[in-house]
Amino acid sequence: MKRFSKIYTALILVFLFAPIAVLIFFSFNSGSSTSSFSGFSVRWYVELFRNAEILNALKNSLILAVTSSLIATVIGTAAAFGIHHMRNKHLRRSIMSVTNVPMMNPEIITGISLMFLFVFVGSFLGLSTKLNFWTMLIAHITFNLPYVILNVLPKFKQMDKSLPEAALDLGCTPIQSFFKVQLPAILPGVLTGMIMAFTMSLDDFVISYFTSGVDFQTLPVLIYSMTKKSVKPTIYALSSIIFVLIFLLLLLSNREKSTYERLEVKRLKAEKRRKEAILRAQKAGKTIKPQKEHIPTDTPRAPKKNSSFLTKIIAVTCAIAVIISLCVMIGVYSKNTITLNVYNWGEYISDGSEGSLNVNRAFEKYCRSEFGMNVKVNYVTYTSNEDLYAKLSTDAVSYDIIIPSDYMIARLASEGLLAELNFDNIPNYESCISENFRGLYYDPENKYSVPYTYGMIGVIYNANVVSEEDTGSWDLMWNSKYSGDIVQFNNARDAFGTAFYKLGLDVNTSDVSEWRAGLEELKKQKPLLDKYVMDEIYNMMESGEAAIGAYYAGDYLTMLDNQADNVDLQFYYPENTNLFIDAMCIPASAQNKDLAEKYINFMLSEEVAIANAEYICYASPHSVVYNSEVYREDMGEDVIEILYPKDFDFHAAYDANCYKDLDAQTKKLLNSLWEELKIS
Amino acid sequence: MTGKKVISESRRRQTQKRGWLQRYAAMPHVVWAVLFIIAPLIFVAYYAFTDADGAFTLANVSSFFTEKYLSIFFRSLKLALIATAICLLLGYPIAYFISRSKPKTQKILILLLMLPMWMNFLIRTYAIMVLIQDTGIINSFLGNFGIGPIHILGTESAVVIGMVYDYLPFMILPIYSVMAKLDNRLIEAAADLGCNGFAVLRKVILPLSLSGVISGVTMVLVPSISTFYISQKLGGVDTLMIGDVIEQQYAASNYNMTASLSLVLMVILLVGLAIVNRYSDSESDGGMMP
Amino acid sequence: MKKRLTEKQDLSEITESQNSISDNTVSEEKSKLIELRGVSKSFDGETVLDSIDLYITGKEFITLLGPSGCGKTTTLRIIGGFEFPDVGDVFFDGVRINDIPPHKRQVNTVFQKYALFPHLNVYDNIAFGLRIAKISENEIKERVSEMLALVNLRGFEKRNVNLLSGGQQQRVAIARALINKPKVLLLDEPLGALDLKLRKDMQVELKNIQTKTGITFIYVTHDQEEALSMSDTVVVMANGKIQQIGSPTDIYNEPVNAFVADFIGESNIIDGVMLADYKVKFAGHVFECLDKGFEKNEQIDVVVRPEDVDVVAVDKGMLTGTVSSVTFKGVHYEIIVDINGFKWMIQTTDYVAPEAKIGLFIEPDAIHIMKKSEYSDMFGDYSSFSEELEHLSDITEDVEE
Repeated sequence: MKRFSKIYTALILVFLFAPIAVLIFFSFNSGSSTSSFSGFSVRWYVELFRNAEILNALKNSLILAVTSSLIATVIGTAAAFGIHHMRNKHLRRSIMSVTNVPMMNPEIITGISLMFLFVFVGSFLGLSTKLNFWTMLIAHITFNLPYVILNVLPKFKQMDKSLPEAALDLGCTPIQSFFKVQLPAILPGVLTGMIMAFTMSLDDFVISYFTSGVDFQTLPVLIYSMTKKSVKPTIYALSSIIFVLIFLLLLLSNREKSTYERLEVKRLKAEKRRKEAILRAQKAGKTIKPQKEHIPTDTPRAPKKNSSFLTKIIAVTCAIAVIISLCVMIGVYSKNTITLNVYNWGEYISDGSEGSLNVNRAFEKYCRSEFGMNVKVNYVTYTSNEDLYAKLSTDAVSYDIIIPSDYMIARLASEGLLAELNFDNIPNYESCISENFRGLYYDPENKYSVPYTYGMIGVIYNANVVSEEDTGSWDLMWNSKYSGDIVQFNNARDAFGTAFYKLGLDVNTSDVSEWRAGLEELKKQKPLLDKYVMDEIYNMMESGEAAIGAYYAGDYLTMLDNQADNVDLQFYYPENTNLFIDAMCIPASAQNKDLAEKYINFMLSEEVAIANAEYICYASPHSVVYNSEVYREDMGEDVIEILYPKDFDFHAAYDANCYKDLDAQTKKLLNSLWEELKIS
Repeated sequence: MTGKKVISESRRRQTQKRGWLQRYAAMPHVVWAVLFIIAPLIFVAYYAFTDADGAFTLANVSSFFTEKYLSIFFRSLKLALIATAICLLLGYPIAYFISRSKPKTQKILILLLMLPMWMNFLIRTYAIMVLIQDTGIINSFLGNFGIGPIHILGTESAVVIGMVYDYLPFMILPIYSVMAKLDNRLIEAAADLGCNGFAVLRKVILPLSLSGVISGVTMVLVPSISTFYISQKLGGVDTLMIGDVIEQQYAASNYNMTASLSLVLMVILLVGLAIVNRYSDSESDGGMMP
Repeated sequence: MKKRLTEKQDLSEITESQNSISDNTVSEEKSKLIELRGVSKSFDGETVLDSIDLYITGKEFITLLGPSGCGKTTTLRIIGGFEFPDVGDVFFDGVRINDIPPHKRQVNTVFQKYALFPHLNVYDNIAFGLRIAKISENEIKERVSEMLALVNLRGFEKRNVNLLSGGQQQRVAIARALINKPKVLLLDEPLGALDLKLRKDMQVELKNIQTKTGITFIYVTHDQEEALSMSDTVVVMANGKIQQIGSPTDIYNEPVNAFVADFIGESNIIDGVMLADYKVKFAGHVFECLDKGFEKNEQIDVVVRPEDVDVVAVDKGMLTGTVSSVTFKGVHYEIIVDINGFKWMIQTTDYVAPEAKIGLFIEPDAIHIMKKSEYSDMFGDYSSFSEELEHLSDITEDVEE
C-alpha cells in the first residue's frame, strides 16, 4: 500500500511536470523548433532580452499584477474585517455570494460582462478609448478580490476573539487595535491572499483578453497571439526563467517556515515527555510535589529574528514593486510623450530579433532627431481582419495606424472608419509605389491606403507524405488519400475561397446557390480534415502533424526555415488563387494623424522597407525593394521566384481573384453557412 | 440548576457593539461588487435580450436552444464531465495519500502540485500540444518501438487530456485541504469498530471529504466547460465547444449573440452549482482554498 | 492618556477598609469604586442580566460565582466596557461610565484564554499598554522587569508567547494587565484552561499578587472551591440575578436559598417547618436550632452540611436510616443514608458497612434555616447525581487518585 501510494504520487507528478520539463528542455534548443532538438544553446535567452515586445508585455503584466493585487488586498482585507463583524446573517451571506461570483462564473463570462460594462460606460461618457490600462486594472481587482477575502476571512474566524478586546483593554483605539493586533494576527492570510491574487493576475489570459485595450498588452495576451503561430523558444525561455524563480522563492519561504515548525514540534515533544514522566511517577505510586513550572533549557527560542526578516524582505519587495510600478505608470501616462498606437498583424514588422532592424525603435529615434518629438510606438497585434474590425467598429480603442487587408479596407472606408491620408506628409509614396498597386478596387482614388505587402495563397505540402503526381491543383486538398493530414483555413472567406477556386466560381458572387455549392464542397472536405487552422498551420506543417494546407507564399518560406528533419515542405500555386494586399491606413478616430502619416512615410523609406520585406518574407509592392540588389541577394533567387512569379500580370490576376467586400446579405449568408459547416 | 441558558460564543460576538470601523469596512468592497460584478451581469442580460438596434427580442436567447447550439453545449458538457471525472479519479487518491503522509512530505508535495500552476496556462497547453502531436515526443518515442503514431491531437481525447492537465491541481488541492483536517483518530475509530479498508473509505473518509470534492468538481468543471483556448489548441474539426462559439461571436462583433450565449451558459452553470451546493454547507468556505 | 495614568498612580490614596461590603443594602458610601445600578442586559430577547445592583470597593478580591450562563461574564464585560447595559448605569469612582469605550476605562482584563498577542514576544506583550500610552522606553524597561519579577518570569523577555506553557502564558497575561496599574483588574475564568495542580498553585499566587499590589480583583469563576479559597467577597449569581453577596464563610455557612446551598459545597436540603423560634421540625423529628424570626409554622428549607452530621448508634440517633452506599474519599468516607426515602449525604471518618442501620445526630449549630424561594424543591436528595455533571466529573477525577 505504502509503495503503491508512492509510485502513484510519482506518476501524477511526472504527468504534471513532463510538459514543463520538455518546455524547459526546448528553451535550450539551438534551432527555432519546439519539437525537434538540434543542439544546446542559450540563444533564445539572449534573444529574450533583446525582444522589446516580450519585455514590454512582461513589464506590463508585472505592473498590473502588483497594483491589482495590492489594491485587492487592501479592499479585500477591509471587506473580510467588515463581513466578519456583520450581524445580519442574510446580508453577510448575500455579500459572500456576490463576492464568489467571479470565482464561480466562467472566466469568459466575467471577461465579456466587464467588457460590455466598459464599452457601454465608455461610449456613454464619450471616451475615445474605452479599454485601457485602467479597465484592465478594474477587471483584475474584481477577480482578485474573492481570493483575498476567502483567504483572510478564515483568519479572522480563527483569531482569538479576545485579541481585539485585549488591545482595547490595554488602551488601543479601535483603529490602533486593528493595525497593532488584528492585522499582525491575520497577516499570514493577507499575504497568502495577496500572493494568490498576484499569481492569478499575472497568469490571467481570458479576462485580460476581453478587457485589454491597445495601449496595454500583458504577457498572456501576447503569448496568445504568439501561440496562434508556431511559438518561438523565446517564450519558453521566459517561462523557464519565471518557473525557476518561483520555484526558488517557494522553496525559500518554505524553509523559513519549517524551521519555525521544527522548533514547535520540539517543544511539544518536551512537554509530552514531561507529562509522561509525571504519569509514570504517579503509576509508581510516588507522591509528586506540585510541579513548579519548570522550563526545560532546550525550550526552543522562536526564530523571531528570521521570521521578521522574511516579513521585512516581503515588505521591502512590495514597496519597491509599488514604487517602480507607480513610476512607470506616471512615466507612461503623464510625460509629454506622444504615444503612437500601431495595430498590426503578428510578426508583421521587423522587430529587431536576430539582428534585424527594430523599426519602431528606429522611428522613435528618427522622431527625436528629426522633429525633437518624444514618441513612443505602442505596437499591438491582432490575428484576423475580423478581429481588427471588431475592435475598431466598437471603437473600444483608438489606433493611429492599422494594416488591414484589401476587402477590409473597402469595408472600413465604406463605413467611414478610415481617415483620408494627407500625401504631403508621405512624399515617399510617389517614388516607390508603382502603378500596378494604385487605383485598385478597394481604394480606387488612392485616398485611404498605402500598400504594405501583397501575396498569393498557394498549397503547401509535405513531399515526404504527398506524392508528386497528386499536386498542382486545388484537388489535393480534397484528396481522400491524405485524409486526416489536411488542414483548411479557419476563416469563412478563405475556406470558401479555396472551394470556389476549385469549382471555378467567382469568389465575390452574391448568388446564393453558388455559395451553397461551396458549402457542399467544404462539407465533402470536412471528414478529410485534421483541423481548421489559421496561424497554427505553421506548427502543424513544420512538425509534420499536417501534410497539406493552403497558406500564403511568404509564410511557406518561414515554415521552410523551421521544418523538422523528417519533413520536406514544397509549395505551388494552383490554377486560380487568391491575391491580397495589406495596406497601411489611418482610422478616422486616430489621435495623432500627422504623426501616423510620418510613420507611413518612414515605413516607405528604403532601409526600413527592405528590413520589413526581409523580415516578413511577403512580396513588397515597393519598387525600390523589388529592385534592390541587397534584397534579392539576401532572399535568394528561388525565394524571389516564389514571391514574385515571372510573367505574371499582377493587375489582371488581382482583379479576377481578389476578395472584395461582400454586401451585407451575402456576408450574413456566409457567416451562417460557415457556422453550419463548423457545427455539422 | 435548571434554567441553564448558555449564551453561545458566536451569539455573544454578534451582540457586541460595533464601531464605525466594523460597520463600514466592507463598504468599499460592496460598492465595488455592485459596480463591477452585478452591473456587468446586468449588461450581459441587457445585450442578450436586445437586437443590434437595441429593441427587445427573445430571438438570441432562444437560439441557444436550437439544435446546433444545444449539440455544442452537450459536447462541451460531455467533455467537461469526462475531464472532471478523470481529475476526480486521479486526484482523490493522491489527495488522500498526501494528507496521510508526514507533515514535511505534505508540504513538499503540495508545493510541487502547485508549481505547474505558476507556468502560464497558454504555454502549458501549448507544451501539451507539442508533446502529443503526431511527430511529437511521445509519438517519436513510441515510434522507436514500432508503435504508432497514435493520432491524438485534434480529437476529443486531446481536449480532455488538456483539461485534465491544466485543471488537475484544482481538484487535488481542495480535497487535500479538507482531508488534511480529517482527524486520523476517526479513521482508527472506524477501523476499530470493524470497518475494513474499503468501508472506512466509504463510510468515513468519503462523507467527510465531500465538501472538498464538491469544490474540486466545481473548480474543474466550470473552466473546462467554458474553455476556448484548450479546444482551439488541442481540438480538431469536431471539437467546437461553447466557449469557442462565444469567442467567435465576440470576434465577429456579434455582441447580442455573445451576450445571450454567455447568459444562458451562466444561468445553467449557476443553477447546477446551486443544486450541488445544497449538499454542502453553504456557510462553510472551507475546502475552497488550498 | 497621561492623566489617566497619574490617576492610577494615586491608587494608594484610596484607602478604605477591605471588607467594607458585607451588606448590600448599605447605600451611598464614598468608598464605592465600581457600582452597577439596576443593570439589565438581554441578547436576542433572552435576559442575561436582570436588574443587577452591585458595588465594589477598593483593594478587595471579589469573585462572581455561578454556573455557566448565569450572567457573571456579562457583568464583568459590562464593567470592562465590552458590553453596554440595556438598562441601568455603571459608575466608576462616582462617574457614570456607561458609554466610555474600553480603552478609556481604568480597568484591565485577564482574558479566559489569555489573548496574548501571538506576533509579539513576552516583553513586547507586557509592554504593549505602556507603548500605546507612549511611555518612555526606559520606564517601560524598568516596569516590565518589575512585572516579570512579580509573576516569576524573569529571563523570559525574549520568549515567543506561543511556545509558553499555559501557566506561563497566564502569568504574562496578568503582567500585561497589571503593568498599566489599573484600579481594577478583571479576571475572566483565568485558570479554566489549566490542569488541577497548576490551578491550585496559581490560586495562591494570584492571591499573593493581589495582596502585594493592593489592586481590586474582580474574578469570575464557576468553581466554588476556587471562589471560597481566594476571595474576600463572593457574589453568587444565577439566572441573571445576584443570589447572595458575602464573605466565603457567610456564603458557606448561611446560604440564603436552596440554590446557593446546593451550589456551594455539598448539602442536604430538606423541607421543614419552623415550629417556633429555635425549634424546627424536619424528617419527622423536632430539632433545636439557632435561627429565629420566622413565622410560626412557616414552611422553610433546612440545610445540613454532610460533614456536620455525626454517625452514632441507632439508639442514640435523632434520626435513623439505612446506609445505601459507601465511598472511600481518602480523608473520610462519603456515605448515602436513606431516611424515610430521602437520601442524605454524610461524611464521616468512621467506616460504616453498607446496608447497616445507623443513627444520626445533628447539633443545633449544624442546622441552617432558609426561607422558601424559587429554588426550593429543585435540589432534592442524593438519590441521583444526574443533574450534577460538574460534581460528577470531580468525583471521577477523585476516584482516579
